[in-house]
Amino acid sequence: MSKYLVRRVLQLVVVAFVISVLTFMLVHLLPGDPTTVILGPNDTAANRAILLKQLGLNLPLWHQYTTWLGAVFHGNLGTSYLNHQSVTHILATGAPVDIELIIISQVIAFAVAIPLALVTSRKPNKPLDNVATTSTFGLLALPPFVVAPILVAVFAVGLGWFPATGYTPFNQNPATNIHEMILPSVAITAGSIAVYYRLLRSDLISTLQQDFITMARSKGLSSTRIMWRHAFRPSSFSLLAAAGINIGALIAGTFVVELLFVLPGIGYALVQAVEQRDYLVVQGIALVVAIAYVIIQFVIDFIFTIVDPRVVRE
Amino acid sequence: MPDDRELLDTRASAQLLGDRFPGMAATEEAIMAVSTEHLDGDDVLARKPLGFLFWFAVVWVAVVFLAAILANVLPLQNPNFQNYSSLNQAPSTAHWLGTDDLGRDLLARVIFGSRVSLVVGFVGVAIGLAIGGTAGLISGYKGGKLDIALNAGSFIILAFPAIVAVIAIVTFWGQSLLHITIILGVGTIPLMFRVIRASSLSFAQRDFVVAAKTMGATDTRIVLREILPNVIPVMVTFSLITVAGIIVIEGTLAFLGLSVNLPTPSWGNLINEGTANNALATDPYIMIWPALAMFLLLWSINLIGDRLRQRFDIREGLL
Amino acid sequence: MTEPQEISRRSFLSRSAAAGGAVVLAGAAGSALAACSSSSSSSSTSATASGSKPGIGTGTPIKGGSLTVGLIAEIDGFYPPNNHWDTNGFIYANTLYDPLCAIAADGSTQPYLCQSITPNATYDTWTMVLRPNIKFNDGSALDASVVVNNYTELNASLLTGQALVQVVSCTASDPMTVVYKLQAPNPGFPAGLTSQLGYVVGQAMIDSVKAGNKTPTPIGTGPFIFQSWQPNDHFTATRNPNYWRAGLPYLDQITFRPIPDTIQRESTLKTGGVDMLQSTDPETIKRFEGQSNYQVVDTTTGVLGEPTVAFVMLNTAVAPTNDLTIRKALAMSLNQATVQKIFGGGLTKPINGIFLPDSQYYSDPGYPSYDPAQAKKLVSQYAAQHGQPKLTLLTITDPRLGQVVQIIQQMWNQVGFDVTISQIEQANLINDFIAGQYQAATSYQFGTIDPDLNYVWWSTTTAKPVGQIALNFARNNDPVIEQNMLTGRHTTDKATRVKAYQTVNEQLAKDLPYLWLQQYIFSEVATSRVQNFANPTLPSGAPAYAYDEGIFVPTQIWLSK
Repeated sequence: MSKYLVRRVLQLVVVAFVISVLTFMLVHLLPGDPTTVILGPNDTAANRAILLKQLGLNLPLWHQYTTWLGAVFHGNLGTSYLNHQSVTHILATGAPVDIELIIISQVIAFAVAIPLALVTSRKPNKPLDNVATTSTFGLLALPPFVVAPILVAVFAVGLGWFPATGYTPFNQNPATNIHEMILPSVAITAGSIAVYYRLLRSDLISTLQQDFITMARSKGLSSTRIMWRHAFRPSSFSLLAAAGINIGALIAGTFVVELLFVLPGIGYALVQAVEQRDYLVVQGIALVVAIAYVIIQFVIDFIFTIVDPRVVRE
Repeated sequence: MPDDRELLDTRASAQLLGDRFPGMAATEEAIMAVSTEHLDGDDVLARKPLGFLFWFAVVWVAVVFLAAILANVLPLQNPNFQNYSSLNQAPSTAHWLGTDDLGRDLLARVIFGSRVSLVVGFVGVAIGLAIGGTAGLISGYKGGKLDIALNAGSFIILAFPAIVAVIAIVTFWGQSLLHITIILGVGTIPLMFRVIRASSLSFAQRDFVVAAKTMGATDTRIVLREILPNVIPVMVTFSLITVAGIIVIEGTLAFLGLSVNLPTPSWGNLINEGTANNALATDPYIMIWPALAMFLLLWSINLIGDRLRQRFDIREGLL
Repeated sequence: MTEPQEISRRSFLSRSAAAGGAVVLAGAAGSALAACSSSSSSSSTSATASGSKPGIGTGTPIKGGSLTVGLIAEIDGFYPPNNHWDTNGFIYANTLYDPLCAIAADGSTQPYLCQSITPNATYDTWTMVLRPNIKFNDGSALDASVVVNNYTELNASLLTGQALVQVVSCTASDPMTVVYKLQAPNPGFPAGLTSQLGYVVGQAMIDSVKAGNKTPTPIGTGPFIFQSWQPNDHFTATRNPNYWRAGLPYLDQITFRPIPDTIQRESTLKTGGVDMLQSTDPETIKRFEGQSNYQVVDTTTGVLGEPTVAFVMLNTAVAPTNDLTIRKALAMSLNQATVQKIFGGGLTKPINGIFLPDSQYYSDPGYPSYDPAQAKKLVSQYAAQHGQPKLTLLTITDPRLGQVVQIIQQMWNQVGFDVTISQIEQANLINDFIAGQYQAATSYQFGTIDPDLNYVWWSTTTAKPVGQIALNFARNNDPVIEQNMLTGRHTTDKATRVKAYQTVNEQLAKDLPYLWLQQYIFSEVATSRVQNFANPTLPSGAPAYAYDEGIFVPTQIWLSK
């Protein structure tokens, strides 16, 4: 067990380190630097040189990297060159937004995919199944930047059921917060619904073919009980696993809804920082997000090794 | 419920998912489960005719590909020609699918746009398959240090903030169909690697492979003749899903202005154009046609993949 | 305020027209403080058919209430020496601070925070007397020493120092009097004090920054007091109960919410998430005007001085745009009317230079008219010697501008050019401008109360070779323009000024570094509840500049029931 943990932690460290180096290199590959954004029309050669020195950006790259790394080990992720917010603050205020977005969207995805799969897996390739499969493919073909304006036009402006933009932190007002997060969550949930539905459906179909299901039926167990206790439970593991992969895609993709719905999340902050060459913000966010992603994957795997009796323990 | 029945339940599922092996992340298994969907009733299905829907899908895919290839010789209007006196028109005899906000013929734009989407989708996945798939195939079978290294490498790419990479690389390298295809293709490498590795790994422990080894078959022969044929269903299914994914991602790149340069149409940037500048209200056709075309294509190729796999599912070794 | 294309806080995903909020370091960017501000005619706001004008309140002002405004973009901070303000920046500034001088409805510069500002006979010494008994919101008094300290910080700053080069000294001659000594006569000096250089912050804020605090709490004399700021989310300020202008402000609270996507911003207005919004997309006007529950104020009329204009900038230092024949061909093949129809929503008028027909400086500069046949001839002439001219047209990743460049590309290709479009990030584009690494690109700029404030963009002193940092982005090295800009700055004779700037306009039409597209339109839309948002006044009670190209004043706004 401890060997397992040690190996995982080591993997985490290596991955985090390599990613931080790669991010650093990539973001310095971009032409320009924050001085353009900061100085604006006062961009003279002299001013630029002075500002670069002030910001420590005239030092050789390796030096900048090691300085940054050193600061990180002291818990200091740096601040934005533009608005001087600390990266830690950006992450602390932005993470809850994205976490909530992901959670709500996954809850919606499960709420749609699971019942649908439970119903259609009983009669595969029949009309209902075909309709469901077709619809879920339709969902796949609709990226968030298309779904979002349509949702707003219909449900916010048209029906007035939801706000068009805005974010209230959960601890300030839970009701308003959820109310504001519904449309953005629906906008990013389409792909997830499709994936979970497909996965669960095929899993259930196979499980339902097994002998023990027939045996359960012959014992007079109700269909509902069969579906839930015997078919669904084993399949739920794969669902959880798929969620793990999906989260990676979601983390990468929240910035579109953050932009459109004005949610102060990490995705948008990251994109803006790259645009403005706000190096420290980019590096800090990339590092933390990468670590979070790896940890999530490890946790999911870990849950499996504990919970799933089929997995061989090391 | 008595305990042994619980055990029976889960063991039964275990048969479905194959044996588990240490170090294999559960996530890959989940993907495999989709791909190795293995209906006991399939043998029966395999003998049924493929069905109307299947042929419809085949025809649609053929039409899309042919139109893309022959676009230059087809009697289409110039997709980039702006006609300022016919802006935002609904479908008519002059323009079968209508015009966009700059007066360009939508039928032509959708057909020419399919080129970009098809290339990005299929070539991109081909790149991922060629590099990631091959690596996964070998790595899953051989294991060892190579496997650990490649595994960690794939993890690194997956955990890397994609958007930073795309912005940086596109800004630095420039926006062309080739560059975008390569970037997206490289992005699929770790996914292909993980999935195919998982599949390869599970087959590598099977009896028929062990048997082949004891009989003295070389690694190459084993990989090519025992493992690869069994991995192909997974490859096909997953690749098709990924093609769908990439074609949609190109749209998001267009949203960010990182896709092919204007005025070159692609389904992604057509959809983007159709949602920007309030176009949804003034001319919804700009978005509808490419979205519909994309949806039909994705649905078709996945349906084809599904049905073919059901028919030709290979489960055991060829010994 | 003279404004190059927005450099910073806009997201490159700016979904609002033409990358919104144009202004970077307003006012005297890089140039001396303005020459005498004079103006074109001023009608205030666009009147609607009904009796009441939009943005002008009728009846008795009602105290109280909270206003939420949807802005186009976020700013980086509230400290003038360290954060450069764009259009949005000034909205925040008008909320928290007061400027020393302000522009009146007739275009003249009038005292605002100061009581008076008078020149000596030679216009090189200005004596400013402050109003008595004004306090900052931390209780400290507004006096000459804090004004001088503000000046010192601005002068020392990399961002704002350039603009103060012409000021030799700024001293307090007595507790309420500040004396500015200039290098050379400048009759228009006070206009500079309406810019970022004129907003006064409290001593405690200055001290806080000097002690190393990069995010100091704003301390000002303004109508509202800073309460909270979550960047990219919201900014809130509450009523200053001790505001020095009696009876003002009426609102209890004001909140700003930056919403980058134009359609989303409009949707937020429609769903009640904001009471008022700012926009740079002309279509916004068309979508809201004529509706009884909304009021629209925009810059299609009422601009004092020179309006912001959108144009295609040509690099006169690289091939093929360094060839005047090519620039002529590009100008003649660009059908402005078509561009305006699609890009401007049909709300703009033809434009042939930096001055609109109602400007006092206007004269027909002889800008080439649309003549594609002639353009084709010129291109074939060029091609015979140098081969087909190829060029790349740059713009930012904005959907509205994406349309514009495709239109222009077709027009140019039709006369024989080979044009490629490239959409790049804002920061990259500005970098390319500064370094001269472009051939043709879209931009918008030159909106200012006085032509002198555009000196830095057209001067020969700022036209450095490609590869070096230059603010004369087009690198148009024209000594005639230089001479006349300086004449315009220093002369006190009205006729000479007019002639000088007319000559500048004519030279620009000859040199063709800029191909004019249209006036860049700003607009604000408010629900019918929001009263008097386009009717600001000076302390004397006289009307002030109603809507300074995207900048509104919150002081006199009230909400009806």
